[in-house]
Amino acid sequence: MSSVAPSPPQPSPAGGGGSDTPSPAQRGGGGTAANGTRAAAREGGSHAAKPLLAVENLVKHYPVRRGLILARQVGTVRAVDGVSFTLNRGETLALVGESGCGKSTTARLVLRLIEPSAGRVAIEGEDITSLSGAALRRLRRRAQIIFQDPYASLNPRLSVGDAIAEPMVVHGIGDAAARAARVRELLGLVGLAPYHADRYPHEFSGGQRQRIGIARALAVQPELVVCDEPVSALDVSIQAQVVNLLKELQLRFGLAYLFIAHDLAVVKHMADRVAVMYLGRIVEIAEKRALFAAPRHPYTRALLAAIPHPDPSRRGQVTPLGGDVPSPMAIPPGCRFHTRCPHAAELCRTQEPPALEIGPGHLAACHFAATLPPVAAAPGGGLSSLAAKRLALFAAGRPAA
Amino acid sequence: MSATTVPSAAEAVPPKRAGLLARLLKDPAAALALVFVVLVVAAAVLAPVLAPSDPFDNDLARTMQPPGSPGLPLGADSQGRDMITRLLFGLRVSLVMGVVATGAGGAVGALLGFLAAFYQRWLDGPIMRLMDMMLSFPAILVGLAIAAIFGPGVFSVVLALSISTVPLMARIVRGSALVVMRLDYIEAARAIGMSDARLIWRHLAPNCLSGIFIFATLRFGQVILLGSALSFLGLGAQPPVAELGAMASEGRNFLFFAPHIAVIPCVLIFFVVLAFNVLGDALRDALDPRLRV
Repeated sequence: MSSVAPSPPQPSPAGGGGSDTPSPAQRGGGGTAANGTRAAAREGGSHAAKPLLAVENLVKHYPVRRGLILARQVGTVRAVDGVSFTLNRGETLALVGESGCGKSTTARLVLRLIEPSAGRVAIEGEDITSLSGAALRRLRRRAQIIFQDPYASLNPRLSVGDAIAEPMVVHGIGDAAARAARVRELLGLVGLAPYHADRYPHEFSGGQRQRIGIARALAVQPELVVCDEPVSALDVSIQAQVVNLLKELQLRFGLAYLFIAHDLAVVKHMADRVAVMYLGRIVEIAEKRALFAAPRHPYTRALLAAIPHPDPSRRGQVTPLGGDVPSPMAIPPGCRFHTRCPHAAELCRTQEPPALEIGPGHLAACHFAATLPPVAAAPGGGLSSLAAKRLALFAAGRPAA
Repeated sequence: MSATTVPSAAEAVPPKRAGLLARLLKDPAAALALVFVVLVVAAAVLAPVLAPSDPFDNDLARTMQPPGSPGLPLGADSQGRDMITRLLFGLRVSLVMGVVATGAGGAVGALLGFLAAFYQRWLDGPIMRLMDMMLSFPAILVGLAIAAIFGPGVFSVVLALSISTVPLMARIVRGSALVVMRLDYIEAARAIGMSDARLIWRHLAPNCLSGIFIFATLRFGQVILLGSALSFLGLGAQPPVAELGAMASEGRNFLFFAPHIAVIPCVLIFFVVLAFNVLGDALRDALDPRLRV
């Protein structure tokens, strides 16, 4: 399927792609040409082991102040408390965890929409936490974001065409005609029609709006896309379409996804690797298969076991986690999970567990990660049959790749 | 999704959307209001040409003539001046007062409100405390102070009313801007890396328009009445300058003998304010893409 829609009234080379002067500004104009170089860069980059994104000990603390005039700090919300991971080109890393565990904060730190309290975020080795001015604008072209709520993520006063073209305007990509052609191309890429460019967001359904958000994110041809729960606000049938669109675009443009989710069926379909977060820290990170088949951290096991099961006779088998997540203002000493962990011992209450390497690329921050009894393999590789059914639905809707 | 579906879909291009004016005129009340506003503004601008006599030309023989007297379709005021002439010239002063004070004061207030909401960390406190201070002075008091500095007159009234509009508009705009600032499309705009000015102008301001329009149209009426009050206190338009509010307060003394002197300017004020309110509402709706069919 060609990226240039074969619509008869419009001469075939989209935008400025057919012109003789390949300037850097052409990057956004000529879809097909740029796609070729992108693929080449991906091939060339794969021999170097340098990851696209490297996050080291990322910390975000919010001071809690009391008092109107002379505010004094009464506490600290440790939203993100020492997170490290890497993400390669063309790879999907899923970040999962309960709400409030710091997933979205991590995502916004990676994009530098908020300033970290400490730690390092490097894109291809370049630390982005100290960027400003032109360098920060370059980062904005390389890393983009897709939001959860398709109703809040589009400005109701901008037409779809203007919304998709705006990133190109801001970065001075192409002229008006080239941008209009690129908008048509992007709309085609995400499965919408060129005439949709003149419409306004309220004229679209949630799934269509999410596609518009994806087109906007792709307008500057980013390498990294943060997907902040991109399908959790959509119907299950629409979820499958959007998830498969994301996969297709990833294959085509070599996008790296930092995929935030709490729906493990979606994660299992999308992710290459999975990182499980609890109270601002990654407690387990592994290849998707390893994590679903043999989770080592008790919290990961609890998460997998908590997936609702349609068969009532099997519901009683797992004991769900007791209690609530402790406040991020008062993170328990020692292992932060010990207050809810069924395996907690004295050691867990006093000593913070280091990240133990269980297998290649499989880390778990638990003192007993190596010695815990293996979890009974559930049908569907750790997923309940309900989730497995949805997974099959996703797979069925997926184009032959 | 397949690219092959695109050509067939492209043929089904919907008809071109109606322009702003066409959308505005679709509502009969709005069309009527627009016509009235245009007529009133034209009458005010062309007052020297249209007026049958001089606004200061008093003739004590015609004092308080009722409407319908020979040569005086709307009668004469207490000084025997032609009401039509007085109304035309009074309209000039009142309209300038309403439009300039609402426009200038509203613009400054809206800008401060946007800045306070956008740079909440640094500017919200300072700007809003300043607004609170300004709010603590009633418009009349501000008018007194300004009249003391610049001398009484239309300029002082407009300045005083502009200043007293600033904090009200700033509060309203800040409130709606704070709501908009929390929406994802603002974060998306930040992630694109646009300048703050572009973000405010393209994404923040348009989504606060409805609040601004509602307040501006309400304030327009208030400003005309406040201007009359200031004139009445001797701070604004000085006799013999015609001003609708001043005319109304002047006619108050003769309410029982010649009610038309007070009633006619009041009726005109009423219709002007009403027309501006209807037009403001219609304009707000016409500018909102969500309300288009």
